[in-house]
Amino acid sequence: MASAPSKLYQDDVSLVVALLDTNPFFWAAASLPFSEFLHHVIPFINSLLLLNQLNRVVLIATGTSSCGYIFDSGDGNASGNSNAVCSGIIKKLEDFVGKDSKIGKGSNGDGTRPAISSLLSGSLSLALCYIQRIFRSGTRHPQPRILCLQGSPDGPEQYVAVMNSIFSAQRLMIPIDSCIVGAQHSAFLQQASYITGGVYLKPQQLDGLFQFLAAVFATDLHSRNFLRLPKPAGVDFRASCFCHKKTIDMGYVCSVCLSIFCKYHKKCSTCGSEFNQAAPDSTIPDQKH
Amino acid sequence: MPQVRIVARNFMDMVAALPAAKLDKLYDSSFICEAVLRSLPPLAKKYVLQMLFLDSPLTAKSMEEWVLPDGLSKHKVAIDRLLQLRVFMEVNDRKKEPSYKMNQKFQSNMQKYLTTGGTVPREPMPLNAAVRLPSVGELETYAMEQWECFLLQLINSSQVDKSTSFSSSMMRAFQRGLLNSSRDNEAPRLTENGFQFLLMETNAQLWYIIREYISSAEERGMDPTDLISFLLELSFHTLGEAYSVNTLTEVQRLAIKDLADLGLVKYLQGRKEGLFMPTKLATNLSVSLSDASSRKEGFVVVETNFRMYAYSTSRLHCEILRLFSRIEYQLPNLIVGAITKESLYNAFENGITAEQIVSFLQQNAHPRVAEKMPSVPENVTDQIRLWEADRNRVEMTPSHLYEDFPSKDLFEACCDFARDYGCLLWQDTKKMRLIVKGELHQQMRDFLRGQR
Repeated sequence: MASAPSKLYQDDVSLVVALLDTNPFFWAAASLPFSEFLHHVIPFINSLLLLNQLNRVVLIATGTSSCGYIFDSGDGNASGNSNAVCSGIIKKLEDFVGKDSKIGKGSNGDGTRPAISSLLSGSLSLALCYIQRIFRSGTRHPQPRILCLQGSPDGPEQYVAVMNSIFSAQRLMIPIDSCIVGAQHSAFLQQASYITGGVYLKPQQLDGLFQFLAAVFATDLHSRNFLRLPKPAGVDFRASCFCHKKTIDMGYVCSVCLSIFCKYHKKCSTCGSEFNQAAPDSTIPDQKH
Repeated sequence: MPQVRIVARNFMDMVAALPAAKLDKLYDSSFICEAVLRSLPPLAKKYVLQMLFLDSPLTAKSMEEWVLPDGLSKHKVAIDRLLQLRVFMEVNDRKKEPSYKMNQKFQSNMQKYLTTGGTVPREPMPLNAAVRLPSVGELETYAMEQWECFLLQLINSSQVDKSTSFSSSMMRAFQRGLLNSSRDNEAPRLTENGFQFLLMETNAQLWYIIREYISSAEERGMDPTDLISFLLELSFHTLGEAYSVNTLTEVQRLAIKDLADLGLVKYLQGRKEGLFMPTKLATNLSVSLSDASSRKEGFVVVETNFRMYAYSTSRLHCEILRLFSRIEYQLPNLIVGAITKESLYNAFENGITAEQIVSFLQQNAHPRVAEKMPSVPENVTDQIRLWEADRNRVEMTPSHLYEDFPSKDLFEACCDFARDYGCLLWQDTKKMRLIVKGELHQQMRDFLRGQR
């Protein structure tokens, strides 16, 4: 899907909102240590800022129970010495992870169920709100896109929120690119990139991460029409049911609001419409046998 | 339609035209590498990033696989540009396939930038209470004033209150191509290129002047390479900070005075030494031509009844608007005019195209109307284009009509003769009539006499 042409601006200028996965449970067990990961991401951000004087980069951290803004290159103080900026980013990340784990412990009581998935829906919403603010700031703005650097597995309980964000991005014509640094594919992000026209990539070698990022994700939206970019082999379109948040292949769909359920319900929980059809249950004798 | 158009050529074309040894020397400075990178077409930038950390050369064929088939032309443009600027070097290996490698110095400078980040070329002066530094707003007005004064002097020396300190030979060098004296005792008139120059964006005009300045630098004893590197470095300074003149070399000190006249820097006298402060015009130097951030506030409102209101006090704006509209009256802060058929025909006579007029109006639209889509009413833009097309309705070619041929063979022979020279415009075989371009008339007569 083509991206929205920005009004009266050069083709090349872009605004990249990068969502970094900071789930400590994932990074503790990952093959690439988090510091190494940052060593790839920060030069990538520098390269984005190098390509054009007017490019802007925003970093949002995706935690287990919260999300937060880490870095915005549009701030006045960000144009100083890069070492200071870099250590600023690292310090903010550490603060964020500390706060996030405190919130996680608090809501879980005594930490009975450690969360293994990160709050993708939260950071997608933060990114979309930021971009919407940019859109409203005037006629001239850069072309925005979202880059998700995700490692943790998908949490099916976030299905509805993530799909809503994806559809908002589609309406605003903001491509969502995804780069998976974890072990398994992410169905949510595959769907996100497919629907919004972004690029989905799972690099085979993580020590060359910078090269993958620079080769695939650094190009501006206009040039993407001319480049051969990686396409996923197939998109996992499985949904989660609204009642138990399990991933299902077959289920019941409300004909009014299209919510998905795994078991038969008399009334749709989202829109409240009643289902008249009699329940298919095992009391109806099967004629053949 | 004008045949010749000023191509507001990018500074980088001039850089690319430098000899190889000088270009390599330029790449010692990481600022020049950054500026060159930023000026490349978008596809070329991507290639540079991709090749940045690769040590071995990559074959041209494998690079072509990076693009889709309809992107091949852009791919070629990008690769040509990279080779021209010697960012990519061709390496011939034993298989005789061309492959490309990145310029060593460029590569190491950029790698350093990515891992440690950019720096400033020189440290700004510490805040000194004795000298009052102008604010950013004051700097902008200063820059605009200087630039306008310079432009006014460029197009018409008699109209200026205070002139810049450029020598008359320098001014003549700038004016070359833009003005010409039609007759000796008359004042010089603007040429077609001159009109187009006036309607260009400030950044584009600035590049044009700087190009001329650097081309004439050798005659004045300044090394163009030094000038180029100084100008590119200037764009990386921070706006609003003062820098000491003592950190400049001789060549740069000479150049600073000229740049101050153009409005690129403001020259101040500090307590012990001279200071200079770069203005917005300078910091936007490394950005490419079509960028919007260097644009100043628009001032023109065009209404659907073809009336035009320009909120400006500048004489330069008045002159520019006079090029294609009829100025009705001028108030202390407002110029009122109308776009009429006569005024537009006048402009078209002088070689200005409708596109240039429309883009000038759109780019300089007042902020109140700039938000609307479209910023200039469609009926006005359509009408301007229609009036231009009016002039192209009929195309005239001087020609001759031949009729009353005695025989068909003679007629056919004449047709072939004319067709061989590419001058046959029209023929009517039934009535045996022929129209041939006027320039062939003499030869046609000789041919006919020879046939008889």
